[in-house]
Amino acid sequence: MNDKYLTVGAITRYLKSRFDSDTNLMNVYLKGEISNFKAHSSGHLYFSIKDEYSKINAIMFASNAKKLNFKPVEGSKVLVNGRISIYEATGNYQIYVNSMEEDGVGNLYIAFEKLKKQLASEGLFDEKHKKVIPKYPSKIGVVTASTGAAVKDIISTIKRRYPICETILFPSLVQGDGAADDIVKNIEMAQDYDLDVLIVGRGGGSIEDLWPFNEEVVARAIFASKIPVISAVGHEIDFTIADFVSDLRAPTPTGAAEMAVPNLSDLITLISNYKIRLNEAILKNINYQKLYLDSLKNSFVIKNPMIMYKSKKQFLDMMIDKLQSIMLNKVNNARYEFNMLANSHVLTDPSYLYKDYQNQLANIIDKLELLNPLGVLKRGYSLTYINDQVVKSISSVEVDDNIKIKLSDGVVSAQVTDKEKSNE
Amino acid sequence: MSKEVKFEDQVKELEKLINELESGEVDLDKSIEKYTQAMKLVKECDKKLKHIETQVNKIVTEDGLKDFNIEE
Repeated sequence: MNDKYLTVGAITRYLKSRFDSDTNLMNVYLKGEISNFKAHSSGHLYFSIKDEYSKINAIMFASNAKKLNFKPVEGSKVLVNGRISIYEATGNYQIYVNSMEEDGVGNLYIAFEKLKKQLASEGLFDEKHKKVIPKYPSKIGVVTASTGAAVKDIISTIKRRYPICETILFPSLVQGDGAADDIVKNIEMAQDYDLDVLIVGRGGGSIEDLWPFNEEVVARAIFASKIPVISAVGHEIDFTIADFVSDLRAPTPTGAAEMAVPNLSDLITLISNYKIRLNEAILKNINYQKLYLDSLKNSFVIKNPMIMYKSKKQFLDMMIDKLQSIMLNKVNNARYEFNMLANSHVLTDPSYLYKDYQNQLANIIDKLELLNPLGVLKRGYSLTYINDQVVKSISSVEVDDNIKIKLSDGVVSAQVTDKEKSNE
Repeated sequence: MSKEVKFEDQVKELEKLINELESGEVDLDKSIEKYTQAMKLVKECDKKLKHIETQVNKIVTEDGLKDFNIEE
């Protein structure tokens, strides 16, 4: 019964024999990232190779490890060649690494991402730092290799589009050791050349070739440049740190030159259009003013200047009329008064003046006549005098007195014979 | 191109003058003044654009600036 149960050792040996007889597993090429790295004192290297999905244990014996041309560290991107087998003691499958090299592109990619993230967090890529590329530069600096397609493309493009502009080349190493420092040196040197814009770049190449443009020193030099920088590294698809930090990224060196300068013929057209617009504008303005002047000249008032004072004259006439009528009235009134006076009785018949008095006088005379005692005599009354005194009472006379009686037409002398007092 | 007045500034000034003139809000005396000024700018710009000295390419060397030409 026990015969059908295998020992652990037996199944492991079986599995190992299956692994070892598989030709695919005998020669495996593997890429990944080193983790759990341990360099044993024996010289053997124990580590894992992992990617984002899986992990495999790896061992590199001292004899092979001695041949390594780099020092593997945790996180290194590596390319390994080896065989995959099972280590019986643990039952784990693992790769027995024969040879291992750095995965340059992978490492560069990591470095790229790390630097990009760091510089971004420092704000080196922020829009607010981007300088404006002048529209019409007069002096352009170019930091690139003095030979090769890039410099030719840039200079010939500028020459074709905008031949009135000066270019100054700052010949620089653009790949390999020392390139980054050389680029930095040239960017710094360019600051003293009174440039309007600086093109920094190179033609296409492998990621390793373009690498200097991903170096931190280059990024910082571009950021520090007071001259606006156009980056032009490789082809359209190549993005470098220099592209992120520069003020403008051109897809290619030719593109950079196109972005740096306008097209001269466009500009000549622009200026001649300005000239046309200017002439049109001034003519329109003059015509407008002329029309305005004409309209003034043709205005009713100018054409009929009389109208300007006609209304005034009308007013004046009215006033004159009014004045005349007032004066006339006054004269008429005066005349009327004069006539009244002239025709008055006093003047026409001055006797009228004293006729009244005559009448009055006559009246007074009449009245006086009435009062005249002599008048009374006429009516038959008489006055009696004694010794020239009018006798008013019987007491004034005595019997036998001689009296005189005055009548209207003479005097009678008489003697009192009696006197008798009236009873009334 | 001279450095004293930048071409860019001249073009900007020119644009400003033209826009003012086109707005029709400038009186005749002023507009003639502005027109004269703008025409002067046009001439200067034109002169700069047509002033084709063959392009000066220089290269920075250890011995200073030297003429540099690319073989086409």
